[in-house]
Amino acid sequence: MNVPALPPLDPVIHAQPRLRVTVALAGLPDGDAMTFPRLQELAGLTAGNLATHLRKLEEAGYITVTKAFRRRTPVTYLALTGAGRRALEDYTAALGDLLAASGNGTPARSSTEEELPS
Amino acid sequence: MGTTAAGPEGGARTGSDPPMSARDALEVLETQRDRVSRSLRVDIVLVLGAWGVTWLAGFGLSYLASVAHPDVSWWVAGTVIGVLGAAALAVSFGLPIRQGRGIAGPSRRVSSMYMWSWALAFGTVAAINTGLTSQGLPARLTPLTWTGTSALAVGLMFLGGGFLFRDRIHYGLGGWILVTGAASVFAGFPGNFAVLSLAGGGGMLAAAVPYALARRRSPA
Repeated sequence: MNVPALPPLDPVIHAQPRLRVTVALAGLPDGDAMTFPRLQELAGLTAGNLATHLRKLEEAGYITVTKAFRRRTPVTYLALTGAGRRALEDYTAALGDLLAASGNGTPARSSTEEELPS
Repeated sequence: MGTTAAGPEGGARTGSDPPMSARDALEVLETQRDRVSRSLRVDIVLVLGAWGVTWLAGFGLSYLASVAHPDVSWWVAGTVIGVLGAAALAVSFGLPIRQGRGIAGPSRRVSSMYMWSWALAFGTVAAINTGLTSQGLPARLTPLTWTGTSALAVGLMFLGGGFLFRDRIHYGLGGWILVTGAASVFAGFPGNFAVLSLAGGGGMLAAAVPYALARRRSPA
């Protein structure tokens, strides 16, 4: 009997810190952006850790990073791209399918476990 | 960052990321959504609750002081209105400002314009009533024009909030407060205070109920 293939999980999002960052940015209305310190607070990450994970999300095209000046102080704004928003929606749907198919007990797996950038 | 590998439970990970099962991922997702929602969204139940209690108690005590209730003086009514009003103002304007820190974009501009609209509306209410008094408005009508125009401003702002946030309850409350404001003027002094307390404050508290129920059904 053929076992139906389980939905793949996006490896860019399927890591706790990046999932928290993506969900935090998805909480903003379209067109809005969040500063680095606020995102750090919402994601509960150290500055260095956050910067590392933001780089991965930016490389995947899921977020935009904008540098600006406010009152002569440099500020970094982060926002989710359309692709990032869709990726989170797909990830959430795949997660639901995976848990439903496995009776809530099967562990997640990634579609590109070997391809995830190191 | 190390190489990618499947964790003991099969979750994709990089060298420094702990493995995460689908169940773990769902928990992280839901917890984070809830946290973000609480951090970024204005608590409408708290705002309507704060103003509902302020109107109910403030106008209610004003009515009792007006009919010379032995236990309620104008001093008591004024103090309660001042304290509750300050708390409601802090909830309505302080929290959104705090929640909006570190956020930039169209929604912040809209939020800022909305808050300024309240200030402009009440600045105009104060100017009109001060002007009417300076033009010789009889003292017996002063409480009616102050409360009537204030209710007009609140009602219109709730209507505006209704279409700004695409929220029927907010819009409906705006209409109700307009009707209440008009009725309060026809009730005359001191009945105007009773109308604003029961229908106005009670209306705000009633409007908070569906929001509270919806939040209970879907916490995030």
